[in-house]
Amino acid sequence: MLFKKRYSVIIYWLIIVFLLVMYFTNDFGLVDLNKTAVVVAVGVDTEDEEIIVTAQIAVPQPSQSGDNIRYTEVQGRGLSIADCLNEINSKTGFYPKLVYCKLVLIGEECQDEELFRVLGCFYRRNYSELTALVAMCKGKAMDMLAMPATISPENSTAMHRALSDELKKSANVSSVTLKDIAVSNFSVSRACYMPFIEANVEGTSEGGGNGDNVGGESGGQSGGGGSSGGGSGSSSGGQQSGGESGGQSGQSGGGGSQGGEGGQQMEFTARKTAVFNDGKFAGILDEGQSFALNVFRNEIRLAVLPCNTEEAHYTVGLKNTNSGIKLKFVDGAPELTMSFKARAQVQGIKKVLDPEEVRLDDVVEPEVLEAAKKVLEERFGELIKHCADNDCDVLGIRELLHKYNYKYYEAYKDKILSEMKINYKVEIQSIN
Amino acid sequence: MQMKQKISVRQICFIMFAYTAASKLVSYPNGLSLQSGRDLLFPALFSFIVQGIIIWAVSFLCSRTDKTFFELLENTFGEVTARIIFGLFAVFFVLCTIIPLFEQKLYVHAIFYDTIPALDVFIPFFFFSVYACCKGFLNIGRCADVCFPLFIVSMVFILAMSVPEADFSAFLPVFKTSFKDIAGGAVSNVFRFYEPCWLLMFMGRFKYKRGDAAKITLSYAGGALFVLLTVAVFYGIYGDLAQARQFPISKISLYFPAIETVGRIDLIALYVLEVVMLFALVLNIQMTAYCVRKCTGYKNTAVISVVLNAGLMVFIIFFDNKISALHMLWSSWMGIAFIVFANVLPVLAWALRRKDNAV
Repeated sequence: MLFKKRYSVIIYWLIIVFLLVMYFTNDFGLVDLNKTAVVVAVGVDTEDEEIIVTAQIAVPQPSQSGDNIRYTEVQGRGLSIADCLNEINSKTGFYPKLVYCKLVLIGEECQDEELFRVLGCFYRRNYSELTALVAMCKGKAMDMLAMPATISPENSTAMHRALSDELKKSANVSSVTLKDIAVSNFSVSRACYMPFIEANVEGTSEGGGNGDNVGGESGGQSGGGGSSGGGSGSSSGGQQSGGESGGQSGQSGGGGSQGGEGGQQMEFTARKTAVFNDGKFAGILDEGQSFALNVFRNEIRLAVLPCNTEEAHYTVGLKNTNSGIKLKFVDGAPELTMSFKARAQVQGIKKVLDPEEVRLDDVVEPEVLEAAKKVLEERFGELIKHCADNDCDVLGIRELLHKYNYKYYEAYKDKILSEMKINYKVEIQSIN
Repeated sequence: MQMKQKISVRQICFIMFAYTAASKLVSYPNGLSLQSGRDLLFPALFSFIVQGIIIWAVSFLCSRTDKTFFELLENTFGEVTARIIFGLFAVFFVLCTIIPLFEQKLYVHAIFYDTIPALDVFIPFFFFSVYACCKGFLNIGRCADVCFPLFIVSMVFILAMSVPEADFSAFLPVFKTSFKDIAGGAVSNVFRFYEPCWLLMFMGRFKYKRGDAAKITLSYAGGALFVLLTVAVFYGIYGDLAQARQFPISKISLYFPAIETVGRIDLIALYVLEVVMLFALVLNIQMTAYCVRKCTGYKNTAVISVVLNAGLMVFIIFFDNKISALHMLWSSWMGIAFIVFANVLPVLAWALRRKDNAV
């Protein structure tokens, strides 16, 4: 009897352990990594009513050497992204859940479409975790994804670096995720923004921008493989919404790293920002306006600011930044205070180096601080002007109105951007 | 007096803490944000306060009697009525099980699996449930001892990854949602609150000492605090998008910066938490089995357990694609059953005759 009782307990525990193993084992190893096509980035373009999705896919290759992943582009067409993914699925033989997709690139042509009509599927259940970075690019996304990149064989990684967290913390890029744009767009501000990626020919830089110009010779369309080059393929989905899995023969891939006209490698920058109002494209912020936006929307560790004094051109590094915008009502009239505090350090001067002066880089002259303050105020002003002109509340001023000044919300929600008075409270002190 | 003590106060506290919270992390925040928008914390707070008071009342009742709930009913109404009432409680515990069972099935499928059909993934749960239902209160208590530290560790891990990413100004301005929507958040989610009924079943099975009512109630408050924090973080991260995001507990830690580098390390905590969720879920089925046994007087728990779980499995299979309809029913008319059984009857237990009938 004791024997039976002891064994029954062991058997019960074995069953429980077996069931737990079954229960918690992810897919029972049914996914063979070498036969998997992992979508690492998607490009979204529109053509008439159709959406064209170009998926950059990492295909693991059996290899003795270290480099054992091949990247290729596969394209699908349809009336929704789900149609396109279905077509991509049939081409790759793998169900793309976009769990590993780190970048969603939107082509310039999507400016004519409602943003969340195009991206809607990403927000449907289980398609994506909304952690992918999202950006608009100059030209077609399919071409951009097919361009060979300078710093990585997989150009989505190169673009990802142009949107990196480090750059975000230096106010050089307005990196956002799919979640960020949706939260912002469906808030009372009804506006969102995303970085605008441009491709430039490797090793070139445009003149006259004090480091603010985003690049040299435009990559634009010329660098990409496009639907006619060796990069991405195109399909014949037409109105059949991705139902047809064919497309032109042999176009379900192309090899991103071999794409591009003449194999010219490209550099990617994202210093500009595309803004949207109520899901509709509302313009592109230039580098200065983007800088101002980033200062208020992101946590900045070190921002670099060029400024001119009567004496020389200075490049100032801004550390220990603290910024914020406050909306208050004075005698019933809205006043926006844009405050910015930072410690400044000289990083560069347009004059012959005097070694004795280098030790004084941490002691910034008052006129340099004043010049930096002036540049910042100009940038803030230009951003506000853009917001007011386009009725595009990327700074979230309507949210401030709604959250902290609710009694004025109904009266001012439609005119706050144009009627508010702006106060600047910029304090830049020398780091030492 | 017959020796009935099979569970300790500590274990009851753990159940009230961990199981209360674990059973409300899968879909409750969603339901609240859908109904009450940015004021979602208020209906949640109201529900927990009401349930906390009832739990205190039932706990305190335990200080006045050593009898089990069945014995109190038997003492007051006679054996037949007591059996009928336990039969009704058995049905009620089945009602408590159904929606969480469906939600758990969908949750496990969505979070841990890729392309395997949800039903295939979830059916093994019933084997576990059959085993658990064969066990008594002693086993329930021991499981709680194991689950409590698992719950604390996993929740602290998940919340530590999530709290810095939340923007708590998303709750402003407060009380601008209509009263109807705020109240609706509490009413439509009333089916998620049934903990006082667990306590009714534990009556007479633990030795009450001075201050135990406060301990049990505070444990419940601790569990409630974790739920409220999860709700707050979830809404703080997703704002108005919260209502569209399924399975909040698995979504709040996604934006932790290190995840991009090291991968979904939060899944480890979610796996651990899932164990607690399963025990919390199976507790209602265990309670059903207990009530059926008391109602019918049939002593073979294995048979009861198999029949009960087979019934639930058939129900799950049959209503596999009817979850929305069931959810609507549970959040509307079925709520009445929950108000009666989980709110009214536990308080009315004070009216039961506690002294023995004269022979």
